[in-house]
Amino acid sequence: MSEPFEPKIVAFVCTYCTYAGADLAGTSRLKYAPNVRTIRLPCTGRISPMFILKALQKGADGVLVSGCHPGDCHFTHGNYHARRRWMVFRSLLDFIGIPPERVKYSWISAAEGVKFAELINSVTEDIRKLGPFDQYKELIEETEAEATH
Amino acid sequence: MITQEQYRTRVKELLSSGTVKMVIGYKPGSTPDRRRPLFIRTAEEANRLVLDSACITNLSGYLVTEGLLSDEKKVAIFLRPEGIRSINILAAESQLNADQIIILGFDSTGSVVKTLDGTHAGDFSELLGSIKQNSPVKPSEVLFEQVEQMTPAERFAFWQEEFSRCIKCYACRQACPMCYCRRCIVDSNQPQWVNTSSHTLGNFEWNIVRAFHLAGRCVECGNCGRACPVNIPLRLINRRMAQEVIEAFDHFPGLNQTQEPVLASFKKDDSETFIL
Repeated sequence: MSEPFEPKIVAFVCTYCTYAGADLAGTSRLKYAPNVRTIRLPCTGRISPMFILKALQKGADGVLVSGCHPGDCHFTHGNYHARRRWMVFRSLLDFIGIPPERVKYSWISAAEGVKFAELINSVTEDIRKLGPFDQYKELIEETEAEATH
Repeated sequence: MITQEQYRTRVKELLSSGTVKMVIGYKPGSTPDRRRPLFIRTAEEANRLVLDSACITNLSGYLVTEGLLSDEKKVAIFLRPEGIRSINILAAESQLNADQIIILGFDSTGSVVKTLDGTHAGDFSELLGSIKQNSPVKPSEVLFEQVEQMTPAERFAFWQEEFSRCIKCYACRQACPMCYCRRCIVDSNQPQWVNTSSHTLGNFEWNIVRAFHLAGRCVECGNCGRACPVNIPLRLINRRMAQEVIEAFDHFPGLNQTQEPVLASFKKDDSETFIL
C-alpha cells in the first residue's frame, strides 16, 4: 500500500457532555484527527451494544463511546447503567475474538474540549497501529459477494 | 423409581384436590435416553409421568406461555435447581407471580434422583445459596481454557468456524426460558439490527446479541446447547458471561425473587478501569 492506513472510527457521544465538549474543541479551534465520525445520542444509557456491533459491521476499524462523568448525567444515572453494560459487553467481545482495544470508552464533560481533541488523536493513533480490522472485513466482503449473486 | 412413585402420588393429590390446574413434567421421548415435556390436567394421567436422571430439560420456559397464568390458578412444575433459579429470575423480572408456581423439585447425581424439599421458589433459598458458594467462579472445562488462552485473532477464527455452521433457526432462543420477549430483536426489521440470512457475519451478530441479552440472567441449564442442531458450544459464551457478572458485580442470577437484574441496576462505585 502506498498510502498510509487511515482508520475509520465511529464515536457515539452523549449530547449533554461529550458532544458539547466536542463543540468546545471546535469553537476553541483545536485541531484533531479527521478520522472520527460523531453520532450524537441523548445519553450514554441510550447506546445499545447493537450500535457498536453495527458500526463494526459497516466497516468501522474502531468505535469510541463517550459520555458524562459519573454523577454528571443529565438523566442522573444513564451513564451508571451504561458503565455496567460496557463492562459485560467488553468481556463478551473479547471472548468472541473482537479485540477490546478497538472499542474505547471515555468520560468527557462539556468543559473538556482539550481532552476531547487529545482523546481523538490518541484513539486514532492506537487504531492506526492496530491496522484495519481485516478478519471482520473479510466477513463483510464475503457477505456482500453472496448478495450480488 | 421410588422418587418417581412418590412424585406421581403427589401429582395425583395436587390435581384431584384442585390445588393446581396443570402439572408440567416429563414423559418418555423418541429414544430411551430422551424425555419430552408432558402437560397433564387430570389425576388419571399422572401415571404417564417419568422422573429419572434423563429429565434434564429446564421446563420453566413453558410457564410464560401467553395466558397460562392469567387466570391466577396454580401450576405445578418439575424443576431442577437451575429451573428454580429461572423461576426466581422470571419473578424478579415481573414475568410471573411465583406464588402461582408449585415446585416439584428434584436433582440427580449419576442415575440417582433425589427430591428437593419445598413447594415454592422461596423455600429453596438455602439450597440456591449453597450452590452459589460451591460453584467455581472459573469454569473448569478444557475447551473453555483453550479458548481463553487463544490470541484474539485465533479466538475470532474459532468462533468464525463455529458460527459459520449456524443456520439461524433460533432454536437456542425458543428453548431458552429467559427468551420470552414477544418481539425478539431479530424479528424486528425497522431497523433491521440483525441480518436475517445465515451468513457468518449475521451469525456473529445474532450470537453476540443472544449472549448479551442473557448476561446476568442465564442459569446455565443448557437448553440452548441441547437445542442447537449444529452443536455450537453456546455454553462457553454463557459461562464466560456468568463468570463476568460474578467477578465484576458479585451477581449470581436467580438467588431469590427480589434480586435486581444486574444490567438494570448499578452501584456508584462499579469498576471503571477500562474507561479513559
